[in-house]
Amino acid sequence: MDYIYSNSYTVITIFLLLGIILPLATVWGVGLILRPKNPAPEKLTTYESGLEPTGDAMVQFNVRYYIFALLFVVFDVETVFLYPWAVAFDELGLFSLIEMSIFIFMLVVGLVYAWKKKVLRWE
Amino acid sequence: MTGQYLAFFIFALMAITGGVFMINLSRVIHMVLSIGLSFFGVAGLFIMLQAEFLAFVQVLIYAGAITIMMAMGTMMTQGGDEGEKPKRRLHNVLSFLSAVLVGAFLLYGIYTTSWPTEPTDLGANNIKEIGVTLFSNFVIPFELASILLLVALVGAIVLAKRDGEKD
Repeated sequence: MDYIYSNSYTVITIFLLLGIILPLATVWGVGLILRPKNPAPEKLTTYESGLEPTGDAMVQFNVRYYIFALLFVVFDVETVFLYPWAVAFDELGLFSLIEMSIFIFMLVVGLVYAWKKKVLRWE
Repeated sequence: MTGQYLAFFIFALMAITGGVFMINLSRVIHMVLSIGLSFFGVAGLFIMLQAEFLAFVQVLIYAGAITIMMAMGTMMTQGGDEGEKPKRRLHNVLSFLSAVLVGAFLLYGIYTTSWPTEPTDLGANNIKEIGVTLFSNFVIPFELASILLLVALVGAIVLAKRDGEKD
């Protein structure tokens, strides 16, 4: 059985390498030959038809961004539980569906609370 | 198997360089990115140990959520306080000594443990096995986890909302 595991990860490794190589080859390999190249100072600006960025990027952002990050983490942890549940669902049957419904209901309560507290609204 | 050695080398290098850069870089956002690299390396090592679920959780929670949280937390800070590091020689010597001691202790533990060497078949279906065990034997802890997540969500909203209304 061990060879199944290593074989499937060999395939994944091949896909991973392809995923790394193909964009690089497109940008710096084939693209260099195919694309026209005549850089002008106007073209090389950060935003060709926008405002010039001024100041430092390290400024203090609004704390509201952080609440979205916190919400994301909670539902990310939910995904961790959903994954083995979905894989093993064939063997578990209907009862596990009820278990998972209770689990998701608890988190929906949290989402509704956030909604009622107007956390998701941007004022 | 040379492929396994190569993969182990790459992942171990990712984990170690990520950690070293995380300590040595001076800008916080660069530290966050390098600890992300370290998390990906550890995830690769988990895959090589046939712990697919741990690798998945490592990528999803640590490389995904924790790194994003730290990046967001960096955005909340004022920034611009990265100056010259204070030179503390005694401090450096002591930290080097404690690192060597911890490393020696771990190596001693690894070399004196007798590892079971009989072949096991844990890799092929481990996520399915985790799912079956979790949803048949450990239902109550699983549901308690949802309560814990709900409490964390509500607590985070209460804390952040109060901070947000000040400004």
